[in-house]
Amino acid sequence: MDTRKHLPSRRSVFLSLFNADLRILWRNRRSSIMATLVPLIILISWKGVVITMGGPFAMASCITIGLIAVGLMGYANATANAREKGIFQRLRVTPAGAFEIIASRIAVQLFQMAIMTSILFIAAYFIDHIVLSMGGYIIGLFASLLCGAVFLSLGLAIVALIASAETVNAVARFVYIALVVVGAIGELGVLGDMAKKIIQWSPYGSVKTLLLAAMQPSTWDTRTTEALVISFIYCFVFTLIGMRWFKWSSN
Amino acid sequence: MPQPILEVQGINVYYGAHHAVQGISFAIHPGEIFGLLGPNGAGKTSTLSVIEGLLAPQSGTVTIVGHSLNENPMYSKANMGVQLQSTSFQADLTVREIITLYAGLYGVATPPGYVEGLLQEINLADAKNKRFGQLSGGQQQRVSLLIAIIHNPPLVLLDEPTTGLDPQSRRQLWDRIEKIKETGRSILLTTHSMEEAEAMCDRVAIIDHGRIIAIDSPERFIEDYKEDPRVKAVSRGSRITLEDVFIGLTGREVRG
Repeated sequence: MDTRKHLPSRRSVFLSLFNADLRILWRNRRSSIMATLVPLIILISWKGVVITMGGPFAMASCITIGLIAVGLMGYANATANAREKGIFQRLRVTPAGAFEIIASRIAVQLFQMAIMTSILFIAAYFIDHIVLSMGGYIIGLFASLLCGAVFLSLGLAIVALIASAETVNAVARFVYIALVVVGAIGELGVLGDMAKKIIQWSPYGSVKTLLLAAMQPSTWDTRTTEALVISFIYCFVFTLIGMRWFKWSSN
Repeated sequence: MPQPILEVQGINVYYGAHHAVQGISFAIHPGEIFGLLGPNGAGKTSTLSVIEGLLAPQSGTVTIVGHSLNENPMYSKANMGVQLQSTSFQADLTVREIITLYAGLYGVATPPGYVEGLLQEINLADAKNKRFGQLSGGQQQRVSLLIAIIHNPPLVLLDEPTTGLDPQSRRQLWDRIEKIKETGRSILLTTHSMEEAEAMCDRVAIIDHGRIIAIDSPERFIEDYKEDPRVKAVSRGSRITLEDVFIGLTGREVRG
């Protein structure tokens, strides 16, 4: 018997959780593949958009769609299901802190987003012959992580506010469709100027603006800086909601 | 008297207007198996959830090996091992990976061969690469119990550990719990099986309607209540059992 006077370091707790979450992601790689396939297929089929709107525009749109899929459909549903199975309750009776439990899952999803963005960069290069500068690739990759964090935090907020996994699934799908479909159509002005303005400042619009400029650093302007700031604000607010009201049990 | 391993003082839990736990207090001493018995909805799961740190009581204190759960929740959690009612581990991980994960969460080093050695002790060496969901109920409970004591804690909380097990698996688990006790650890056990409580526990507390109505050893309970008309009225044989005392004190009606 051993009375513990020292706690495991937060780093070692985080690494243990990250290792386990990464293995789970790998074992469920089919859903990750699906999340990557959707933007990949759109990218391949959007040859006309590449010609008319430019390669970076098409890439920014596809990466945004992929990030929303991972953040809402992947992360939110996986977290809600794990909660329903009581996995979080089991972890919470250990010395693992709430922050480490949530952060390791988010870190794994960010890792997945980085891989997805890299695959889209490679596919765009070989299939659509879209070539970015080295800075465009590097800043684009980092921007995709920040943009991914916006949708992960939105997913976290949804899971925090809704206890039932089924309802989380339904709401995540609804928000996904609302963001992607309304965002993609609305930004073209089809839904009117007011809708276009709202979409520009929505998570979809801000993230897309940021990604587009990140892939072409020379085009970075005031609007991009505003999109960067608003993305940080979205991330902060959704994370705050997620951490404050997170329900560890679905009961 | 040595310092209690677990001390629960006047905890109160409300769910809205419902007063689920009403000023419950008890202490568990080193090397003791303490049973928490009660009908469904009596308040034992809420009490256990408070001790596990999963539920914050509206008032009262829980002290584990001198650490206040409220002030030092992490130290308290590091000093207890828990087996939850449902074995809720990540179904996509293998048995080996789950053990490695929980060892890491408690800061227990797992040098090569360590996990295999632990699995050997519970006769599951062949199952190390199986997914947790592929194990039988009895095997899952063995892994769950192994994880509950992986960091050698002074206090082990077992929430209905033998529910759903066949008689062989249940007896095997009882043997393992006895072995845990022999190492000097204290065990808090909740169970619906009076046979289990009678066989395993040094002392039991009967909890009903959110209050502890009696605390004593199973033998003393039977001795003290064997002539109680409520107990005699529900007895089904010539010998009074702990189950007779339990039903006599908490009533015949089916709860929840």
